[in-house]
Amino acid sequence: MTVASQGGGANGSVERYTGGGSSGLADVVEMILDKGLVIDVFVRVSLVGIEILTIDARIVVASVDTFLRFAEATNRLDLYGKGKGGKDLPEMVQGITEGGAKGKSSGVLDAAADKVGQLLDGGDRDGDEEPEGAPRRRPRPRERTRERER
Amino acid sequence: MSATYVYGIVHAELAVPAELVGLDGAPVELVAHEGVAALVSSAPTERPLGTREDLFAHEKVVDTVASDVTVLPMRFGSVIERPAVVGELLAPHAAELTAALTDLDGYVQYSVKGRYEREVVLREVVLADPDISDLRERISGVPEEASYEDRLRLGELVVGALEERARRDGPGMHETLSAYAARAVARPSSDPEQVLDSAFLVPRGRRHEFEHAVDQLGSEVAETVKFRLIGPLAPYDFVAEAG
Repeated sequence: MTVASQGGGANGSVERYTGGGSSGLADVVEMILDKGLVIDVFVRVSLVGIEILTIDARIVVASVDTFLRFAEATNRLDLYGKGKGGKDLPEMVQGITEGGAKGKSSGVLDAAADKVGQLLDGGDRDGDEEPEGAPRRRPRPRERTRERER
Repeated sequence: MSATYVYGIVHAELAVPAELVGLDGAPVELVAHEGVAALVSSAPTERPLGTREDLFAHEKVVDTVASDVTVLPMRFGSVIERPAVVGELLAPHAAELTAALTDLDGYVQYSVKGRYEREVVLREVVLADPDISDLRERISGVPEEASYEDRLRLGELVVGALEERARRDGPGMHETLSAYAARAVARPSSDPEQVLDSAFLVPRGRRHEFEHAVDQLGSEVAETVKFRLIGPLAPYDFVAEAG
């Protein structure tokens, strides 16, 4: 991920990314997998794995794990100090999202047999999305917390 | 067998930058029909699509073109046989595609995301709510296993407080920036620390004004919120489903 330029604000508090390859994977995933024109003539390829990935990125924070992580961050907070003690959690959450994305896409895609050629030959466009209740693999946030603490 | 990957739709008079390459470095070409054109390249057929490189390649093609002219971005993974680009994609949908291009002509999208500065905002949350500060005291020094319920409750309260705060702060920020945009969308967020996640459709002529407004907002709330400004982009959030 490249920061195209630090924002022009007095204190540079705005991080700026241009399109065309400079933004992060999470942003790109959100734009081109979640958004964009859908026209029914297309064969949809490889989305078996990837759509789960975007859903997963969204739900990853909405869980018991989230509560426990925020409890941890609150617990470790330096309440009256000036220090930047709890800074690791946003990075951690980011790491989980990105890490999960990477792990999942490679895993699922390795397993996927739906090459473009086969899809075009077969001509069907099923398997767009996994059912809601499908089991999902994702990294254990707690383990990551520990990694960070080392 | 000629698998063709479609990146987006543009007005037919566009000159594709000669050096523009897509998936696997394949050159990007234009297939035109009656005023509309598809940005295409060959699609790799010997492997499934969807690697990190594939995603970046798609985005790069779309947003490189979008920095100059309006592009209707296709969703990732749009593959079609070559003869069908005109026969099934462009010809039958020419009217809608032209209308959508005209509608978005002269605009670019910016995405703006704001996240709370954890340390600062958590401190405020703890100090503002006696229930939270009491719970925090109670679990302090207690082993994790022995305080599981309390920790869960503490986290829930903290997340609730952050979300409430975002509901209070977010709409004002969205409104402030909307003043520089023709249209704006606030995306739902499930991240308790995210206060703003909005897309803005900005006239090309007001790009600098908009960017300045984001900087301005960023300076005003620099203590508590960190912003990320992404763009100019293709109007991802403003293309309706067609077909």
